[in-house]
Amino acid sequence: MDEKKLSYFEQYRDIIPQFDKFLESLKTPQPYWIRVNTLKISEEALINRLQRKGFVFEIFGELNAYRVVDMPVKHPGSTLEHSLGYYYVQDLASMVPVLALQSKKGDRVLDMCAAPGSKTTMIAEIMGNKGCIIANDANYRRLKSLAGNIERLGITNVIITNRDARNADFGVLFDRILIDAPCSGEGVFRKNPWGFRQITEREHRFLASNQKKMMKNAVRHLKDNGRIVYSTCTFSPTENESVVKYAVEKLNMRVVDVDVPVPHCEGVESWRSEDFSEIRRHVMRIYPHIVDTGGMFIAVLEKR
Amino acid sequence: MQFSRKDEFREYFVNKFGIPHEVMENYTFWQRGKKVWAFCGIPCTVEDVEILGIRALKISGDVKPSTVFLRVVGKYATRNVIDLNETDAMEFMKGKTIFGNFDAERGYVIVRCNKEALGCGFYTGEGIVSQIPKEYRIQDSWV
Repeated sequence: MDEKKLSYFEQYRDIIPQFDKFLESLKTPQPYWIRVNTLKISEEALINRLQRKGFVFEIFGELNAYRVVDMPVKHPGSTLEHSLGYYYVQDLASMVPVLALQSKKGDRVLDMCAAPGSKTTMIAEIMGNKGCIIANDANYRRLKSLAGNIERLGITNVIITNRDARNADFGVLFDRILIDAPCSGEGVFRKNPWGFRQITEREHRFLASNQKKMMKNAVRHLKDNGRIVYSTCTFSPTENESVVKYAVEKLNMRVVDVDVPVPHCEGVESWRSEDFSEIRRHVMRIYPHIVDTGGMFIAVLEKR
Repeated sequence: MQFSRKDEFREYFVNKFGIPHEVMENYTFWQRGKKVWAFCGIPCTVEDVEILGIRALKISGDVKPSTVFLRVVGKYATRNVIDLNETDAMEFMKGKTIFGNFDAERGYVIVRCNKEALGCGFYTGEGIVSQIPKEYRIQDSWV
């Protein structure tokens, strides 16, 4: 492991609990997790089939989330069942924003930054292919992977758009909006340490500026009794708590406590002279050393 | 180019594959150019739609059903369905032609194995030519 890359995370020593354990976890590859597509097959039937083929799983609580402990192929997607759309390879941490969204059958949902579609397909599965999901992504080239995953999983209630989530007018109001915002991606370090690039504070601020624009646009599209879930896969408070604080102070939103069955930590108290004490208890941070996943930040917001 | 609603394409799946009306009525059909998409959600008016639902048909020349949609509704089919054994099913999924005489009309068929819809095949009378798209074909190293 490149020690120089790891030393980048030293800036978070004071805000990440059990920091040395955190640092150790970054040195180990991230395990694969799968989610069964219950629109096509039951959890029990799929897991039995894959176990007969030599897969070994560890189930996580009551969740439809299985950690791949051993497998007879190099990648968990190299099976007939994956081709048939019976499951999706998705990190446990990345399932949490969807669990926090608590969408219901018949809802109208906007997924602002949807590609490659792990969360969109999970939302559709929870909604039983009912209602309507607008899966948007500003990057046209990424729509192919988004559409491919939606088709593979047999999702039929999704409309794909290619708009700039910072300012697009989607023309309707939504019950649920997911902003899984483009971020510096520090939380996926374990997945791809070779591709990890050190981010400057200036870049964090640039990303945060875009994230705040998306938040503002999301609030504009939210029904009065609707809910926004803001998530990133990074640790930087500039891109996390700071964006949530902006929504609370400038956009008349409130942060809502939601129970999710995945262990997590509170937000940070302060960062570089910015104080987050009012919101920190209501936001969630998932670190790699807690349940052997990637990193994730999640906040649930509703109108005041 | 905008999508226009064309629910008459529903009849194709009822007539060709014997899929019950009550199953197909869950879907609305939307045409753009030479492609037709099936959508089962509550339609909502948004601008600049790139994709609406799931690819159902290609209508350039002959009418060709998509593997991805047949995987959704294929389990309800009663006509022009060919059930393969597991060995032939794996070959079919690799994109290979399965030779033999089957009880189906010549043309596009739904290929199944153990009641699972694998996708679209083209029955020539002498065999089934796999129509599985390249991205869904399985490789020799897979299980």
